[in-house]
Amino acid sequence: MKQKRSTGVTAFARGVLVLVGVTLASPVSAQVDLAGLWRPLARNQDGSGMDGDLAGLPLNEAGRQRALSWVPENFEVAELVCRPHSFDYSIEAGPSQLRWVPEVEDSTQRIVAFHGRLSMREQESDIWLDNRPRPSDQVRYSWSGFSLGEFEGNTLVQTTTHLKENYLRRWGPMRSDRATVRTRWKRIGNYLRATVIIYDPIYMDAPYLRTSLFWVNDPNLVLPPYPCEEATGTVVEPGTVPHSLPGKSFLPAHDPNMTDAFGTPYEPRLGGVETMYPEYIAKMKTLPRPKTVMGEGDRGQ
Amino acid sequence: MSGTSRYWSVVALATCALLMFIAESVHTQNAPWAWAPPIHTIARGKVEVVPVRGNVHMLVGAGGNITIHAGNDGVIAVDAGAADMTEQVWAAIQTISRRPLRYIINTSDREDYSGGNEALALKGSTIPFRPAEDARVSDGMRGIQKASIISYLTAFERMSAPTGKVAPRAEGAWPDNTYSTPQKKLPFNEESIVIMHVPSTTDGHSIVYFRTSDVISVGDLVDMTGYPRIDIQAGGTADTVLEGLNRLIELTVPNRKSEAGTLVIPGRGRLVDQPEVVYYQQMVAIVRDRVKDMIGRGMTLEQIKAARPSRDYDLRYGTNTGPWTTSMFIDAVYAGLAKNPGGELR
Repeated sequence: MKQKRSTGVTAFARGVLVLVGVTLASPVSAQVDLAGLWRPLARNQDGSGMDGDLAGLPLNEAGRQRALSWVPENFEVAELVCRPHSFDYSIEAGPSQLRWVPEVEDSTQRIVAFHGRLSMREQESDIWLDNRPRPSDQVRYSWSGFSLGEFEGNTLVQTTTHLKENYLRRWGPMRSDRATVRTRWKRIGNYLRATVIIYDPIYMDAPYLRTSLFWVNDPNLVLPPYPCEEATGTVVEPGTVPHSLPGKSFLPAHDPNMTDAFGTPYEPRLGGVETMYPEYIAKMKTLPRPKTVMGEGDRGQ
Repeated sequence: MSGTSRYWSVVALATCALLMFIAESVHTQNAPWAWAPPIHTIARGKVEVVPVRGNVHMLVGAGGNITIHAGNDGVIAVDAGAADMTEQVWAAIQTISRRPLRYIINTSDREDYSGGNEALALKGSTIPFRPAEDARVSDGMRGIQKASIISYLTAFERMSAPTGKVAPRAEGAWPDNTYSTPQKKLPFNEESIVIMHVPSTTDGHSIVYFRTSDVISVGDLVDMTGYPRIDIQAGGTADTVLEGLNRLIELTVPNRKSEAGTLVIPGRGRLVDQPEVVYYQQMVAIVRDRVKDMIGRGMTLEQIKAARPSRDYDLRYGTNTGPWTTSMFIDAVYAGLAKNPGGELR
């Protein structure tokens, strides 16, 4: 009996060693390879869909005022016609194919960077995993910014600074050039989840968080180019700045008397931290519903 | 437990302990970052060199930004920084080039940009027509042990004074090489340099276009740290700033994906390109239009300020302290519109 127990303990100890060996065979700070072509899973943007709707955005007073002054002609300013979506917006906003290419250090075979490209307006992002110093605050900022990455378990955490100001939605709300964007990339089998958290001390009262899912690793995916050149025949005269004066916005979501097919009240369409949370739905039910329902043709993007 | 079992158990426990130690070490290395990672900023009182492109560098921290173009012909400085920063500026220039400083180009007469004129010019020398030891020529044809200072005529007039009057600035700080035409061309260091008169925050403002390098140094026409410092007394208004910004936008050509290409060195703050100049122009135009609308509705300056027409930009560009506050900016916008009440909104 004693002999059998001793054999059992030995077998258990050997089993632990085998498990440890298997564990050690993988890198301790497991690098997960995101390489490949990823097809996005389409999702709706937040809000009602009314042009100008700011619901779900944690905008502060400045962010709201900025958004309320926006007019569609802003996108017709010749110099802004080729302005790309930012990487974080493209992840959320629609059918944006994604490609990650790893850069491998020859001597160690460790991934030192991922180079990403989104087909939506050809945005690119380099995530450096070598902990290189961030550039000074005096260098030129870019649409994709500067990103460092590190793995937390099997999640790649990308932290981006040096971003040019750009839009959160294509009807006015902006993310400032003081924002930091943290994106958590997690591969789940053939799925890739991107959780984007935007911290903006200029236009937000709280971090704004969005999660998008890339559907499947598809080796046959095509990333088309997006050629663009400055427009010269837009409706906006060169040198002019189209905008709405305070209280004069004509966007449907900014009209207190107008609503959508769901009867969305006016107040939530102005955004704010409260409107991000499900609990706000109960409050929305107590708010007055505008009487004029906009037509289908008035519906936004 | 047999000796063999005890042996394997000890080995297994030791291995587990080692693994836990490694795991803990890795966890420590991968500690989450703060939400806003530290980014290097220029320390107060220090001058730092920011490479821009090719022969062009930007010096930051000496008051207004200074642009340095260095090559075989020597060094050109666009602006000279504040008077008390000359030694730091000169030390920074020396890290870029040991060639002589030949020119200082003032974008305006403001102290933050031209305060170092006198002391910095004395560090350099003009290109001589003849060697100093050549006795056959007059003094004027020999090299002068002082860099030449270029500005638009109005900037010179604001630093100097007619005979018998007290000049705001010492004579050594005055530009000795002025222009009063729309532009002055200056080939130097195999670079095509165009100095352009672009009235904006003052009526004597110049911008300097390094055409070969595709870099434009614009002085305080663009200030990435704050609202434009409009000097009403010196002929600046929100409208002249907007005209200057529109001129600058016309000159800039971004690369594919709407960025980089022509680089713009602002009077303060970081290096920018066309889209950020457009954002800055839009900010100025929107605030100007709101103030104009409020004037049209009969509001007083105090009422306009209380309505905060720049509220969406104040956290980014505004301040309530220092030499140029949000309130002073609104004062200047208002005063400029009062000077030109019939001006068209653009």
